[in-house]
Amino acid sequence: MTLRSLLRAAAAGALAATFGATAAAAQDPRLGRLDPGTRPLVAVVIDSARAAGLPTEPLVQRALEGATKGAPGPLIVSAVQRLAADLGRAREALGPGTTPPELEAGAAALRAGAGPAVLAQLRRARRQTIAVPLAVLTDLVAGGVPVDSAAAAVLALAARARDADLVEFRRSVERDIALGAPPTAATAAAAAAADARISQVNAGARENRPGRP
Amino acid sequence: MFEQSEEAIERIIRHLRRPVQVDPAVDGRVMDEIAHLPARGRRRAARAAWGWLTRPRHVALSPLGGLAIAAGVAALALALSGRRPGAAPPAEGAQREFEFVVVAPRAATVSLVGDFNDWDAARTPMRPSPRGGPLWTAVVPLAPGRYRYAFLVDGSRWLADPAAPRARDDEFGAPSSVVTVGGS
Repeated sequence: MTLRSLLRAAAAGALAATFGATAAAAQDPRLGRLDPGTRPLVAVVIDSARAAGLPTEPLVQRALEGATKGAPGPLIVSAVQRLAADLGRAREALGPGTTPPELEAGAAALRAGAGPAVLAQLRRARRQTIAVPLAVLTDLVAGGVPVDSAAAAVLALAARARDADLVEFRRSVERDIALGAPPTAATAAAAAAADARISQVNAGARENRPGRP
Repeated sequence: MFEQSEEAIERIIRHLRRPVQVDPAVDGRVMDEIAHLPARGRRRAARAAWGWLTRPRHVALSPLGGLAIAAGVAALALALSGRRPGAAPPAEGAQREFEFVVVAPRAATVSLVGDFNDWDAARTPMRPSPRGGPLWTAVVPLAPGRYRYAFLVDGSRWLADPAAPRARDDEFGAPSSVVTVGGS
């Protein structure tokens, strides 16, 4: 072995060690709770998401959920991959300036069955963050409300309702369904009541506004 | 010689004592000049102060002096950031406390696990409710967002929160719930 080849091997070894150390440092220490076979696969998905500008914390949390619940490695990897794909679709629908909570809520709404067009409409309808409207839409669908009815109700309220109004609307729908009302009818009634309440509050605010000279 | 100089003095005195004829327009001219003089007072003082403040100066500082000033500024910044009695709480991202409650009769331990505590069963143990009975409670501060969570009973049994929406994507075979924290 010549001196040149020795030097080349030493340089390659140093480079590999440096890259390995960097990768290990970049990896989230919380992923140490995953089994050794699952960890690198999840890390690859997370790194890809990071490179694509997607939030990685929801992916870490989904992997940790799987680990804590004792799910098999392949199931954890596929769940993290699916969530990463949903986050990407949500960003496509909502636009590049979307915040991580909005993307996470958007991914859940897409998984619940809402179309990208609904997400885009919500984005246009509301000036404030749309994380809560999206979450309410998802929760309504999870509670048995058809996607179209849930989307129509949330879209109708989104422009003027505060987050708290939307959460109260969802509770009202859940209460009525628990009492035996059909989900679609419960949603329509609760949406009408919430709309009337918001209009009343806004009218009150207008009356209380100081007059102009 | 002496006589001549006395005469000269007398002449000068007479010249000085004669009445002076003043032009009546002088008063007007003087007052006009005064009126056109630049105004003194606050404006001028402010301009002078501004000039003093903005004029570049050379400051000589030893390294030790510079370090002392930097340390003082850092200490002041730390002291100010540590106590702000009148500071308003941040509107965006402000945390709110949520009380989680679950009914778990005959349970020895109950943990609250979710996106807010890295799904770590050791982080948020629930306590038997002071109201008694099979109620277990935990209070967690949450920033606006959507969180998945579940209750872990006796380290092995998973329970969803019956009072909250269920997470639709239960891919791991154990139920989870969702809590949504609004920002407005």
